Amino acid sequence: MPIWPRLLFALGLILAPWIQAEADMVVVVNARSGVERLTQDDVINIFLGRYRQFPSGLAALPVDQPENLPEKARFYRVLVNKDLPEINAYWARLIFSGKTSPPYQAKSAAGVMDWLARNRGAIGYIERSQVDARVKIVLELEP
Amino acid sequence: MKSGHILFLTWCIALGAATNASAAEQSDEGMVSSRFSLQGFGTLGIARSDTDSAQYVRDLSQPGGLSTNWSGKIDSLIGLQANYRFNDELTGVAQVISRYRYDGSYRPELSWAFLRYDPDPTLNLRLGRLGTEFYMLADSREVGYANLTVRPPPDYFGTLVFSYVDGFDVSKTVPVGHGLLRGKLFAGRSPETTAFDKNVSWDLSGSLLIGGYIDYLNGPWQVRLSHDQIRFSNEVPINTLLGFEVLALAPNLSMVDKWSRYDSLGVVYDKGPLQLQLMLSQTSHDNDDYEDSKAGYAIAAYRIGKITPYLGYSKVKSTPIEFPPATPAFIASIPSASHSDQHTLFLGGRWDIQHNLDLKAQVDWMHGSPRSVFPVRAETPAWDGNMTVFSLALDFIF
Repeated sequence: MPIWPRLLFALGLILAPWIQAEADMVVVVNARSGVERLTQDDVINIFLGRYRQFPSGLAALPVDQPENLPEKARFYRVLVNKDLPEINAYWARLIFSGKTSPPYQAKSAAGVMDWLARNRGAIGYIERSQVDARVKIVLELEP
Repeated sequence: MKSGHILFLTWCIALGAATNASAAEQSDEGMVSSRFSLQGFGTLGIARSDTDSAQYVRDLSQPGGLSTNWSGKIDSLIGLQANYRFNDELTGVAQVISRYRYDGSYRPELSWAFLRYDPDPTLNLRLGRLGTEFYMLADSREVGYANLTVRPPPDYFGTLVFSYVDGFDVSKTVPVGHGLLRGKLFAGRSPETTAFDKNVSWDLSGSLLIGGYIDYLNGPWQVRLSHDQIRFSNEVPINTLLGFEVLALAPNLSMVDKWSRYDSLGVVYDKGPLQLQLMLSQTSHDNDDYEDSKAGYAIAAYRIGKITPYLGYSKVKSTPIEFPPATPAFIASIPSASHSDQHTLFLGGRWDIQHNLDLKAQVDWMHGSPRSVFPVRAETPAWDGNMTVFSLALDFIF
C-alpha cells in the first residue's frame, strides 16, 4: 500500500470525531413548550441573558452543560466565537452589578436532560444522538 | 494600616478559594439550584509612575495616588456578594467591597443591597442600594475580571466619584427590528463621602441623583445614550480647604442645590476575538467651582489564544470659566483646580490563566498641560503634565 492513502486514512481517523462532533450539536427545548424554531440571535439573547422570552411569551430557562465536558466550550465557540474565560468575564460583569443570572449550571449531562424534561420553558444544547421524545430541536448549530 | 492587613489576608483566602474552585465543585444536586449563593471578586494590583511631581489616581474618590514607588493601593480591592432567591420573581442581593477609600482606609462598604423584582423576563425593578452607572460598563468598574484593562481609563471615568445611591431603578427590554431596545431609569440619594483634597473630604450624603439610558443591542453592537444628573445637598468644603470664608465673598462657588449633568454616548463592538469600545461624554456644572469638560476614549483588543493585547487612547479637556472682569483674581483662579487638559495612550495585555483568574500588564503614557491638575493628586510646581504609569494586576472571581 502506498504511503499517501495510508496517511490520508490516518488523518481521516484523527479528524473524523472532530468533524462529526462539531456538526452534531443541536439546541433543544422542552417538547411541550410550543416553540418550533429559533434563530441564532434568539439563542444568543437567551443564553447571554439579554432577552429570555420565547416568541410565545413563555419565559426561557437556559441550562449549561457542565464546565468539565467539552460541549459547553464548543457551544459558546460556535454560538458567539468566545472562549469560556470570556463568557465567565461577561457573567462576572452582570452578576456583580446585580443584573441577570447565568444559565442554570448542570452538574452532569444527565442533569441537563432532567432540566429540559422538567421545565416547560427549558432550553439547552446537546448532542443530536441524545435527542429523545422529551425534547424538540429548534436550531441546528453550524460549526 | 490595620485594615490594609485584613484586606491582604482576605485576598490570600480568596485567591486560595479561586485556585481551588474546581476541587470544591459539588456533585450533581439534580434540578433545584440553591436559593443562596455567595460569590466574590478581587484584584491584587501594583503600579508605579515615573514622577513624584504629582500622584496618579484611579478616580477622584482616592485622596492620594501613585509615586515612583510600587504601590498596591489604587487598584487592589476585594468584593463579596450574597444573592438570595426568594422565588422566580424576587431576589435579594448584598455586596460588600473593601478598597482604598476617601479617608485613606480600606474599611469595607456596603456597595449594593437591594431587592430585585422581575414580574416578567423583560421588566425589572430594583429597590435599595444600587451601584451607579452613568457611563456604559461603569456599574462593574471595580470588577477587574469583567474588564479588559487594569482600570477604567481615568481620563474618562476618573470624575465618577459616585459609587452607589439609595433609591430604585427600573429597566425594560423590547425587541425592535433585529435587535433589542433597553431603557433604564433610576433615582436615589447618595449615602457617600468623597475625597475633596488630600486631607479634606466632602460629604455627598443626601444629594439627589437621577438619570437613565437607552441601549440598542444588535448582534455584536451595543450603543448607549445616557444622561445623569446630581443635585448637591451639602456645601463643598472650600472654606476648610482655603482656611477662610471664601463662600461669603463668592456666592457662585456655593454648591448647595446646584446641578451637575453628565451626558454620554457609548459604542461597543464585540465579535469573537475582536473587541472595540468608544465612549464620549460631556459634563456641565451649574456652579463656579468646577469647569465643564469633555472626555472620550477608544480601546481595541484582539484575543489570540489566552492572551488579549489591547491598545487604547483617552482624552479629557475642560473649559476655563469666564468671570466678570471685576472678579478678584484669587476667586477666578479657584476653578482652575478642576482644570483637565490631557490625553493618555495605553498599551497592555490580559492573560486568562484559568477560568476565574487573569493577569494584566499595562503601560499608560499620559501627556498634558502643566495646568491639567484635576485628574491627579498632590501636584507640585514641578508637575509638567506628563507621566508614565506601569501596572500589573491579578484579577479573580470566586
